[in-house]
Amino acid sequence: MNIRLDKYKSKRVMIVNRGEIASRVAKACRELGHTSVGLWTDNEPDAAHLEFCDEWVHLEGSGNAETYLNMDKLVDLAKENKIDGVHPGYGFLSENGVFSTKLSEAGIVFIGPHNEAIKVMGDKATSKKLASDAGVPVVPGTSEAVPTVKKALEVSEEIGYPVLLKAVAGGGGRGMRACQSAEEVQKQFEAVVRESTAAFGNGDLLVEKLIVNPHHIEVQIMADKKGNIFHFFERECSIQRRHQKIIEEAPSPFIGEDEELREDICQTAVKLARAVNYDSAGTVEFIMGADKKFYFLEMNTRIQVEHPITEEITGVDLIICMIQSAFGEDLQIPSQDWIKKTGHAIECRICAEDPITMLPSPGVVTGFETNFPQGVRFDHCLYRGLEVTPDFDPMVGKLIAKGLIRDVAIRKMKAALKGLYIEGLKNNIPLHKVVMDDPTFIEGSYTTNYITEVAPQDKIEKDINYVSIYRKLAAAEARNMGM
Amino acid sequence: MRTYLIDSESNELIVDLTKTIKHSSKLVEYEFCSLVEGKTIHKESIFIRKLAGNYYCSTDNKAWSKIARQHIPHRLLNIDQVFKVYRGFKPSGLSGGASGELLTQMPGKVVKINVKVGDQVNKGDCVLILEAMKMENEIKTSVDGIVKAVHVHEGDALDSGVLMMEIE
Repeated sequence: MNIRLDKYKSKRVMIVNRGEIASRVAKACRELGHTSVGLWTDNEPDAAHLEFCDEWVHLEGSGNAETYLNMDKLVDLAKENKIDGVHPGYGFLSENGVFSTKLSEAGIVFIGPHNEAIKVMGDKATSKKLASDAGVPVVPGTSEAVPTVKKALEVSEEIGYPVLLKAVAGGGGRGMRACQSAEEVQKQFEAVVRESTAAFGNGDLLVEKLIVNPHHIEVQIMADKKGNIFHFFERECSIQRRHQKIIEEAPSPFIGEDEELREDICQTAVKLARAVNYDSAGTVEFIMGADKKFYFLEMNTRIQVEHPITEEITGVDLIICMIQSAFGEDLQIPSQDWIKKTGHAIECRICAEDPITMLPSPGVVTGFETNFPQGVRFDHCLYRGLEVTPDFDPMVGKLIAKGLIRDVAIRKMKAALKGLYIEGLKNNIPLHKVVMDDPTFIEGSYTTNYITEVAPQDKIEKDINYVSIYRKLAAAEARNMGM
Repeated sequence: MRTYLIDSESNELIVDLTKTIKHSSKLVEYEFCSLVEGKTIHKESIFIRKLAGNYYCSTDNKAWSKIARQHIPHRLLNIDQVFKVYRGFKPSGLSGGASGELLTQMPGKVVKINVKVGDQVNKGDCVLILEAMKMENEIKTSVDGIVKAVHVHEGDALDSGVLMMEIE
């Protein structure tokens, strides 16, 4: 009797994140009847995600190291506030095995996979070894950290250029550089070590063969604590800049109608998840060459930025499943056969950056308005007056459009981009508009080199649009006149 | 009234409001033009109408489109330029620095300084690495010359528009 009551008891969930994902988790908690506890820090007292959180807690400090990365303080705060579970979102401590261990030692549930899975998959060397032992194909390269430039050059010689220098602890595009020649390896080695030491506290590097014209395809996995592992089909995330995704699609237009290949890649992902007894939301990333052979890249042991497109095509709320799984509840998915994909979804990441150079551009949002067609979802943390600071990632929102077929999804995305106004802050909406009109994108034949080779950014019309400037000034005049 | 729009690279746009016609309490017509090299061009009439609490605008009083609700703009966006808006006056001291002066384009942290005072540098050399928004940016010189002064240290957190280095 007690067990049953406990099972359905409302839980207190602390969200150790900010921005769009914190709002998303808070809304999921609300739906499940749990109490969400949001955090705010000294350099972001107006945190927009608090709008959806039931309780607000002050996380003292200003830099990320003092706040969202400060494990001991976060564990203490969780204890103080009688928290049952902590959701880490993405980034920050979402893939930190030490944090999840500290939480479980304090008797608090970490809403994510078990420590062992985070540790094994968080290290590129051990994850690669585990994958090849489980019979999952991996990219040729070193399976252990390369200590010196000299060794890196030797390995590169052996597997042949171009090669990729990768931080063992890296992720999300950080601590990764492609090198076409020995000189570049020489030049970049130190920079990658420095970057990854600063970012992850671990400067170990791997050297890998660079697959030319690759597709980045990943499979969404969701598992519970009883050993049920489900896949939610694949996503194509090949449109990237600086190894960070900007546009994602589900299902992959490259796999297209090839259901056999789709089944193969999805089952391979499930196989890998089973090898680590996976028990939460996760993503198995693959790199696919033009010959449709795929290799395991890495497994992200967290919810990903682009999870909404999978939710749109399968109709399953992944954040809710993640919370249910963490508390040992039923995922409410009877079997794999119930997970069907319908339609096509595209996500455009809206970032505070220069649309042409794609460099981050902090600033203040002076105007914000949306006007979307049917089938569009916008997960964001924008409001008028929001100040985008260099402390955090420049992504401010995710625009997701869904249609029964890909052409419809593209049409809806184009309309949605037209209906999204962000004023005062440089953003990449002009880039997304150009991509949606680009023949290579429409054909669906793009690779990860799309931004460098097709260079849609060069087609952005830069001329000063006088009418658009007059409109904005006229509205200001009208307001001044008291209209 | 004259409005000055100036972006971070000191590109300047001068917009004049030449006429205001109040048709009704809900409909106003404005006439704008721009001043380019002493000539007025791009003359346009803009109609503003208030509907359900929002401002709508039109160039012909027929086709209307909504304007994003915003504060009185101090900043205006045109694709890859953000203009600061100065209504009625032009601020002084906004001219661009000499080309040998390296200014930060965005706030960030100095990760590494590759040169010291007295070093010879060539155009395109990476003189400094600045970390901002999760990535390292190589700051390159746009001139050949000798490093005259380095005003920052490794580890410094900088605002936008800070003078980092002078090259002569």
